[in-house]
Amino acid sequence: MNGEKMKIKITVNGRKHTLYVSPDRTLLEILREELNLIGTKRGCDDSNCGVCTVLMDGMAVKSCTILIPKANGHAITTIEGLERENSLHPLQQAFIDHFAVQCGFCTPAMILTAKAILDENPNATEEDIREGLHGNLCRCTGYKKIVEAISAVRNGEYKDSCGEV
Amino acid sequence: METLIGKGEKRIDGYDKVTGKGLFASDFGNQFPNLAHVKALRSPFAHAKISRLDVSKAQALDGVIHVMISDIPGLDWDQFPKTAIIAKDEALWAGQIVALVCAETLEIAETAVELIDVDFEKLPAVLSYYDAIKSNPISVVDPDYETRPLGFTDRPGDRASNRVSPNVVGSFKMHAGDVDKAMDKAEVIVEGEFWTGKKTASPLECANAICRYDSDGGITMWSNGAGVHGVIKQGICRVLKMQESKVRIIQPYMGGSFGSRLNPYVEMLTAFMCLTVKRTVSFQFTREEVFIGAPSNWPCITKVKLGAKKDGTIIANDYYLAEEIGACLNNSFFSGRLSSSGAIPVYRFPNLRMDTCAVATNTVPAAEYRGLGCPEAEFGIECLVNQLADELGMSPVEIRMKNIIDKGERDAHGELITSIGLKACLQGVADVIKVDELPDQDMGVWKKGRGCAVGGKQNTPLGRSEAEVWYNSDGSIQLFISCDENGMGATTAMAQIAANELKVPITDIKVTKGDTAITPYDNYSASSRTTYNTGNAVKLACEDAITQLKEEVARAYGLHPSMVDIVGKKAILAGSYIQEVDIPSLFQPTSMFTQGNWGLKKGSPIKGHGIFCPAPIHQWNEKGLSDRVWNWFQYSAAAVEVAVNEETGQVKVLKIASSADTGNPINPKLVEAQIEGGIHMAIGFSLNEEHLFDENGKIANATFSDYRLPTILDMPTNENVHSLINPDPLPDGPYGAKGMAESITIPVGPAIAHAIYKAVGVRVRGYPMTAERILALIKEKKTKEAVK
Repeated sequence: MNGEKMKIKITVNGRKHTLYVSPDRTLLEILREELNLIGTKRGCDDSNCGVCTVLMDGMAVKSCTILIPKANGHAITTIEGLERENSLHPLQQAFIDHFAVQCGFCTPAMILTAKAILDENPNATEEDIREGLHGNLCRCTGYKKIVEAISAVRNGEYKDSCGEV
Repeated sequence: METLIGKGEKRIDGYDKVTGKGLFASDFGNQFPNLAHVKALRSPFAHAKISRLDVSKAQALDGVIHVMISDIPGLDWDQFPKTAIIAKDEALWAGQIVALVCAETLEIAETAVELIDVDFEKLPAVLSYYDAIKSNPISVVDPDYETRPLGFTDRPGDRASNRVSPNVVGSFKMHAGDVDKAMDKAEVIVEGEFWTGKKTASPLECANAICRYDSDGGITMWSNGAGVHGVIKQGICRVLKMQESKVRIIQPYMGGSFGSRLNPYVEMLTAFMCLTVKRTVSFQFTREEVFIGAPSNWPCITKVKLGAKKDGTIIANDYYLAEEIGACLNNSFFSGRLSSSGAIPVYRFPNLRMDTCAVATNTVPAAEYRGLGCPEAEFGIECLVNQLADELGMSPVEIRMKNIIDKGERDAHGELITSIGLKACLQGVADVIKVDELPDQDMGVWKKGRGCAVGGKQNTPLGRSEAEVWYNSDGSIQLFISCDENGMGATTAMAQIAANELKVPITDIKVTKGDTAITPYDNYSASSRTTYNTGNAVKLACEDAITQLKEEVARAYGLHPSMVDIVGKKAILAGSYIQEVDIPSLFQPTSMFTQGNWGLKKGSPIKGHGIFCPAPIHQWNEKGLSDRVWNWFQYSAAAVEVAVNEETGQVKVLKIASSADTGNPINPKLVEAQIEGGIHMAIGFSLNEEHLFDENGKIANATFSDYRLPTILDMPTNENVHSLINPDPLPDGPYGAKGMAESITIPVGPAIAHAIYKAVGVRVRGYPMTAERILALIKEKKTKEAVK
């Protein structure tokens, strides 16, 4: 906790940051506490709930178990990076339209994980989606509407940009 | 305009939540640069004497602001929520707070906790109901408890008055008809003892609070607790003796509750520390602390005996129930009456004897969890109704259709049932899953079976809800409410009601919610009451605003107000020289010199206020009977197809249908979402979730890696999850609506249990129905068959 600070260069949502931080801090802490990107949540600290999921070079990772040196030099996408020029990402719009949101605490992580699933495999089947989401807990929805929302995007029901919000 | 009631309007909080812009209480830390942090030292033992406690080294650490221990002159810890009581001489459960450190940083607070010198002398502990009622049991709380005036507010039950155990700490009895006589006449009797596990609701946002010390000595708190007025503010004012004007509670978005955040433990301690150190403080529970230091549910043990005629008519129910409530000191809440309420509103039971009690153990104190004990209380009854059907060669659907109460009848308490759609619910799910047909056995060692069950839950009349609605001078609408938004969509439903009353699109309603300095009184969102209670208040507030608007418009045109109709921004007039007027144009732009005391003025909204409170209960008589014990009843039915692995005991839910009697749903998409979430929560606690204890009586699986919540893979695939709504309108609900979120969880467990029986022939007597337990039952059955 009182260790030497180290220089970390990371790109977050397209913006380059150079930070001097203690190497024992997690990516989650840096995102929330230093960069004020609080859309990334904390739920368990041992990577079992998944609410801290962000994308690192496009892969879904649990930011609570990534020490910041491991993120050095990498590109991170958080939920704040999905909405562009006041236009929602198709997954964000689909989650609203399909009632895939309840308390909302798992939602940013669910959407980012869904993005990673579809980016890797644009034709992901329900089975693929289930497999990809099994590390992300949701206590409210029972997951059905989350799968519906992701499937709608996979089916091309949403344009790249969902218009003015 | 077409009605908005019954329409799947999108959630008003959707945008905030999909963009991560919506703030939760745990997101507020960054706003306070000089935030002090609280960390707890907790007992590692279920029962221990604290033989030494020295905090001097911790207190001396640089950056430590204060170390709080139990010994505070004049403070009555008994008034605190049970999980917030700092242990004095004895720790009563593993996880009870022994000392609370407040420091400049979280790291310093954690270091200081380690510097506290504490010696525990381990004492014998009681970890379950069965330990608690052994002959010569160890006493959990206080062997003289029964002599205290707080002990039995109800009539002492047989088991309590016979002093079976000093750990029996509350009881309730009711007797309708004559059970003994009816049992003599019964042609078939089924009976059994049933148990359920202890579980934690586990909303994904851990319990947390930030309390700002205000310049006037008051406090402002942001927390994810429920009930800003009725629970948190009232609690803090009463316990910490604060003036109401100096306590402001704000509830941002809540990361779930499921009942578990109705208990203001973290709020009370954070406020107390804030007032003690006169600093803005933050107390963020870890996930482990949510298990060991926040309330669990209360498991129920039931012994049920049903007597029936050969045609399946149930004529008697002899029912014993014990709530296992953990280390609840000063129990005044538990007697078995809450849980056993679930045994009343479903079946006709002309003869019903209930003998219930509460039992204390050295485990984390219990509190509300979705369903208030009804899933636990009804499990045994539902299992036995299924067994009865099997023994009589009847369908589990048919036997229930014979015995489910009809609308207009009175239940065993004597209460009038004014809304019950349960038979339609049951028929609906049974048809979808084809409960009365046998599934194909095409999965090898995985044997398939189908089952169904039903459930009912009372709505407790929990006092007053208020709402305020502003009709602004430009025609835009603001709604002010204080119901909780745990995630269920309550604020959307409230906006929908307001939009419907004022005949505007829902997007025209701006909702401000959950701030005691701004939004009007509401107790809390419990007992599935929000749609009913706050919904009625919102409707009344809109009616009040509309009445005022009609008068103003009528005056402007010399009409009687009854000749005016308000449709959004327009007033429709009858008997005037014009038929329609733009209401905002009637708000006069004025300078401050000409504004005047009356009339519609630009910038000054019309304000409507609504108060709704259900009628009070009638105290039950010496037999425990009353014509108004509860308010109304919500119902649900579930049917499942499961596969059981004969070799491992694993259970997979392949198909599930769940149906809710919601009254007229305000928003069927939100209801569907509650049904699906309820199914998933019930699958979790029916098959997997329970507290396990280590040798010190501490919860051994207090992490998400060991306490396995259901993931997406535990749910059937989408085409195999069916949600049905079978409404029976509630006469006093807004547009006939009632609550529904709790009832969903009740029938899922017993439906699974029956499906397991149909699949592999073993009758489960409790849940979670883990693979180990099912396998043990399968082996026992095989051994018995081999002996034959």
